[in-house]
Amino acid sequence: MIPLKYNLRNLRARWVTTLMTVVATGWVVWATVLTFGMTDGLEHALRISGDALDIIVMRKGSDAETSSAIESQTAREITNLDGIAKSADGAPLSSTEFVTIFTKPRRNNGGTTNLIVRGVESVARELRPDFQIVEGRDIKSGVNEIITSRQMAERFENLAIGEKLEINKIDFNVVGYFEAGGSAAESEVWTDLNDLTSARRVQGAISIVNLRARDLESRDKLIEQLVSDERFKLKAITETAYFESQMSASIAIRFIGYVIGGFLTFGAMFAAANTMYAAVASRGREIGTLRAIGFSRSSILVSFLVESMVLCLLGGLLGCLATLPFNGISTGTANWATFSEITFSFRFGPWILARGVIMALVMGLLGGLFPAVRAIRLKIVDALRQA
Amino acid sequence: MKTLKYIWRNVMRNKLRSSLTILSVGFSLALMTILHGYMAMQDEWGAEAAKHHRIVVMSTMGFSGEVPIANVDRVRSMENVKAAVPYSWYGGMYKDQQMAFAQFATDPKEVFNVWPEYKIDPQQLKEFQSDRQACVADRRLAQRMKWEIGERIPLQGTFFTFNLDLKLVGVFDSPQNTDSLWFNWSYLDEGLKAQSSEMAGNAGTVFAKTADAPSMATVCKAIDERFASSDNPTRTQTESAFAQMFTDMIGNIQVFILVIGLAVVFSLTLVAATAMAMSMRERTTEVAVLKAIGFSKLRVLWMVLGESCWIAFLGGLLGIGIGCLCLEGLHNLSAQFFPFSIVEMAGPWLLILMLIAAGIGFVSGIVPAIRAAQLSVIDGLRRVI
Repeated sequence: MIPLKYNLRNLRARWVTTLMTVVATGWVVWATVLTFGMTDGLEHALRISGDALDIIVMRKGSDAETSSAIESQTAREITNLDGIAKSADGAPLSSTEFVTIFTKPRRNNGGTTNLIVRGVESVARELRPDFQIVEGRDIKSGVNEIITSRQMAERFENLAIGEKLEINKIDFNVVGYFEAGGSAAESEVWTDLNDLTSARRVQGAISIVNLRARDLESRDKLIEQLVSDERFKLKAITETAYFESQMSASIAIRFIGYVIGGFLTFGAMFAAANTMYAAVASRGREIGTLRAIGFSRSSILVSFLVESMVLCLLGGLLGCLATLPFNGISTGTANWATFSEITFSFRFGPWILARGVIMALVMGLLGGLFPAVRAIRLKIVDALRQA
Repeated sequence: MKTLKYIWRNVMRNKLRSSLTILSVGFSLALMTILHGYMAMQDEWGAEAAKHHRIVVMSTMGFSGEVPIANVDRVRSMENVKAAVPYSWYGGMYKDQQMAFAQFATDPKEVFNVWPEYKIDPQQLKEFQSDRQACVADRRLAQRMKWEIGERIPLQGTFFTFNLDLKLVGVFDSPQNTDSLWFNWSYLDEGLKAQSSEMAGNAGTVFAKTADAPSMATVCKAIDERFASSDNPTRTQTESAFAQMFTDMIGNIQVFILVIGLAVVFSLTLVAATAMAMSMRERTTEVAVLKAIGFSKLRVLWMVLGESCWIAFLGGLLGIGIGCLCLEGLHNLSAQFFPFSIVEMAGPWLLILMLIAAGIGFVSGIVPAIRAAQLSVIDGLRRVI
């Protein structure tokens, strides 16, 4: 085998070309990984929002919480069903919530989009992962106060602590920021159930009931009971399944990601091929010498392929590294299931970065293949005679 | 002329390298063409919508809110409003396919007054107006689904609890493929009423045609003022603002596309520059000979720059070609999301992409060109490559 050192030294000897190729492939990998990091962040936000034991109860035929409505009588009956987990003080973990949408402007002239406002009772907090107030305080009921997440406050006008959000000509004061483990709740504005329904002039209206089952067995029993009861006309699905169905939002971005990745891989592959052809062309005599002193054709083929892959791998690693500053940066897009804004953070998990590296290796392998084949096709005598 | 020929010969000299660079530039610019084509489509949508001075009335609550059906008549009776119809997104499933095409519940009597640019056979229109379960579809949609006139089209509701059993009575021609089907709003509403559903009586949105462009703003304002203190306040905007709303909702994607575009241009410049530098290094002696027989610095400079620009330009041509083919393919695949064919979208942005390609060539050639122009004849002749 030809030692790897030979290839590394060669890359160093032609450092300007190497550097340019590395930076070019690096940019390409960066752009692709960035897109995948976006999809991953969005899907992560939806995935962790669902707890396997939690059930969302909606009107039959609703696809999303925002198009659901449940009668308050029915909601009360649901809360008393058997199999619902209890909180520390013995109250059932069942939360009646009213969900509505308002079209509000983003900050910095970012256009208008739909904002989810959720009216809740205090139990709702226990049904969200790691709910906690991180700044300011929680709302009091009856005095028109709202809380939201820090990301939402940064994205929307009138949502920072101390500002006022207008709902049907009634001002709601923003009093605090909460976190909920990065789940979809962090894309929402929360207020008191009664305050919201009065402002909307739909007193007593309820959109959904969110409840936690005692265990998996009682969960299935509860769903069975809720769906089959003809009086209720309800749809009950696990929270996991509900958020799974909203992943459609990420499909478009994922599609864009694959398009970007596909085209750019091809583009960069040709660039790598170009560099490697030049490398082969300028090293004719070297190749001849290697053959003359007994290296086999296959080891020369492998050597050039390795060189090309190392070249692209360097670029790939550089590109992956360059995405890391974006890790955790929050952004938002439309959730087409609810027609409203969902915020999420870029996320570059190991698998996403691995995909970037694999992409770079593919570029190197395919780009280096033809130049390497050309290298081994050279006749020893001709190669040695080359200027 | 002679210089041009010389440049062309140089481009063709190392065919492998030139074609690799061209392919590299081509594939990356194809991507940019697709991304920018998508943005151009959004603009085109807005521009197309602005032509017909239509306005859209929706609930302040957005799509989840209610616009009572009685408001359609109220809007219609307002000054400078020529026609108004309820326009409700049904979003049903056809043969277990969700979102196979768009379906709207509307008023058959008025709908072709709101969209007068859509053409339909008068006989078919009459049937659409007389049969409650009738529906009409965009001609291109009917062709895609292979529907015949008289075909039954069952639709299963997703958020509406009432399923539809429609009969296709006609097709209409529209300037762009709308990929949509229109049916009678009353048919849906009666079904909902029979189930005593609280979703009955909701017009969804109201589309109205105003007399002329200048009156649009005042009509919008008048409508919102009229319903401001009712139980269902409205938000009225022009059709192009309505279209813009969907673009806005997608959020930062546009900035994102621009960032990706910049990254691509930057790496392409590097790729092309590497190739050009390699070519020139091999030709050092040759450049020295040219200078020795009297070629001026400037002429050598232009020759090198010309070569790099040519290569990048050819790459651009290839890329934009591939990109346009892809956009056309997407349009044929899903006219609902890509409503414009490439011919309708073509505009200055294609020219700009072409210029970007040539610009890449210029920037990538500048360093090798200057080095060639500055080359000392003695050194160049002495150097052995």
